[in-house]
Amino acid sequence: MKYAYFLSCINESMTKEVDLSLTRWVKDLGIELVNLEKGTCCGGSNLDYVSPDHFLVINGRNIALAEKMGLDLVTSCSTCLMTLRRAKQALDSSPEKRELVNGHLAGEGLRYNGTSDVKHLLWVLTEDYGLNRLAAKVTAPLWGVRFAPFYGCHILRPSSLLGRDNPTAPSSLDRLVEALGGSLVEYGSKNKCCGFHTLLVAEQQSLSMTGNALEDAVRAGADYIVTPCPLCHTALDAYQDKALDGRGVSRNIPVLHLSQMVGLALGYSKEELGIDRHMIAA
Amino acid sequence: MERKEVAFRIYRYNPQVDRQPFYDNFKIAVERGITILRALNYIKEHLEPRLTFRAFCQAGICGSCAVRINGVSKLACTTQVWDELTGSGDDPILVEPLNNLPVIRDLVVDIDPVMEKLKQNYSWVRPAIAEGEMGQKEHCVSDGEFEAINAATDCILCGSCYSECSMTEVNPRYISPPVLLKAFRMNNDTRDTLGCERLGQVSGDNGLWDCAHCYKCAEHCVKHIPIVDGIHRLREEMFERHMTRSEGARHAQAFFDDIRSTGRLREATLPLRTLGVVKTLRMVPLAAKMGMKGRTPPFVVKPVPGIDRVRGIYRRLEANRAAKQGGE
Ligand code: SF4
Ligand code: SF4
Ligand code: FES
Repeated sequence: MKYAYFLSCINESMTKEVDLSLTRWVKDLGIELVNLEKGTCCGGSNLDYVSPDHFLVINGRNIALAEKMGLDLVTSCSTCLMTLRRAKQALDSSPEKRELVNGHLAGEGLRYNGTSDVKHLLWVLTEDYGLNRLAAKVTAPLWGVRFAPFYGCHILRPSSLLGRDNPTAPSSLDRLVEALGGSLVEYGSKNKCCGFHTLLVAEQQSLSMTGNALEDAVRAGADYIVTPCPLCHTALDAYQDKALDGRGVSRNIPVLHLSQMVGLALGYSKEELGIDRHMIAA
Repeated sequence: MERKEVAFRIYRYNPQVDRQPFYDNFKIAVERGITILRALNYIKEHLEPRLTFRAFCQAGICGSCAVRINGVSKLACTTQVWDELTGSGDDPILVEPLNNLPVIRDLVVDIDPVMEKLKQNYSWVRPAIAEGEMGQKEHCVSDGEFEAINAATDCILCGSCYSECSMTEVNPRYISPPVLLKAFRMNNDTRDTLGCERLGQVSGDNGLWDCAHCYKCAEHCVKHIPIVDGIHRLREEMFERHMTRSEGARHAQAFFDDIRSTGRLREATLPLRTLGVVKTLRMVPLAAKMGMKGRTPPFVVKPVPGIDRVRGIYRRLEANRAAKQGGE
């Protein structure tokens, strides 16, 4: 199983442990990820406000680079996923937009044809690899560990674009937890917004969103939150102290990346998976 | 006809009498095809005459019957009981008032906050036709012109998106999705003349740039209106009209600039470029703590291989844009 791997800006800077932990175990599963070295930032659902054409060409190019390799494009970031898929949907449904994009890509020997799918790492595990196969690889089952799966927004909504989980009752991450031997807590915030995208422009409001989700997970008795998105992780981990400030919540709650949770079940240590890099100790 | 005993768990609250909200349980026999609204009517007629809810058209047109069903905002009159059965079909169906609005009684909420925001934000067309010529002159809108706003005109102001909105939940003063949708609809109506003024109004404090693009509004719009596309379009219009002095606009501009210069987002200076010096200084303590864990982004970012190609794309796109603007 071979994929082009989209390098997300945040995983190259603030959340390096995502790719660090991923590299530890993908080969154990026989999955090969080829870095999309020439790919650029997707524009994080901001680029298109400044210029819709730039958004299309830049992301058409990102996907075309994967097409040239003959591979589907995989990302570990939900917002990159949503943004790339938004461009893909626009291009796949409009010959005029494809023409615009291809006019700009021809000089580089690239062409957007729509042949590569754009997927999240979570979908690679649940759909392509398969959870039964993954469960058979588990060497250190997460027995007795209670997880609060936090999906966040951009792996669920808009469902017309993402179309895997039911956004009001998502289950893919829950099933992954169970496949690794972990147990689940039920809590209402699993499909809510972490607040990351407005942390700079509306900090207090964003921290309320973050705090609500954290408080909910703590009250449900979770040992860990686990999330498929490094942006959610940043809000929930790096901003946790600020978000819980004044709420009278009894304790902090460590937040794992999906790639780290898988790594733990496959027998890697917390240090090997970069869990010691988090702001909230696990 | 398939028939079944169905349990309902309904939110009750009369602020004038009850110290706090409570839930009432009812079990009624329901046929397949019956809507939640008809079930509520049955309960009111036969079991609990005081149960209070709002409805009128019973056809998904008036927007008055929106409630939360099993936690999700929907129209009671277009939602079928059968589609809401969960578990083995025996779990009670939870019916609650819309979120983010004050409860008047039981399932009825006060929608005045929505109306107030609509009023504050010029949610109507200010036509080009002079006052004196009103009613005498026609201003036709072609099919093509209408297409751009067609979906947005389907809004029935039911308040479901308002109830689902992540930002409204934490900030009651936030402009809210139906009001942004109206602003999009009016600003793209060819009869309207308020473009800049309306945009200035909706992009102020608690406005357009505070949307967290969580997509909850669009996901749950009862008329399937792509509300977030409308919000995106308004933000694009801010740039088209060079109204770019807000924090939100500077934040977006930073992504645009960084892709040209290195192909990567330079997160280290993102706060500074978005917020300016003073507000950025407030972030220093957290940044210092994150630095100790190796979590601060690097100040110098190496350009991606092939950055020249990306810069070439930018040059050509900008030349095209300049040519287009010159030609207008
Ligand atoms: S996308 Fe924006 S307006 Fe819509 S629900 Fe989320 S925060 Fe509210
Ligand atoms: S946009 Fe949709 S959900 Fe929101 S008020 Fe209008 S019809 Fe209701
Ligand atoms: S009663 Fe009018 S929309 Fe439901």
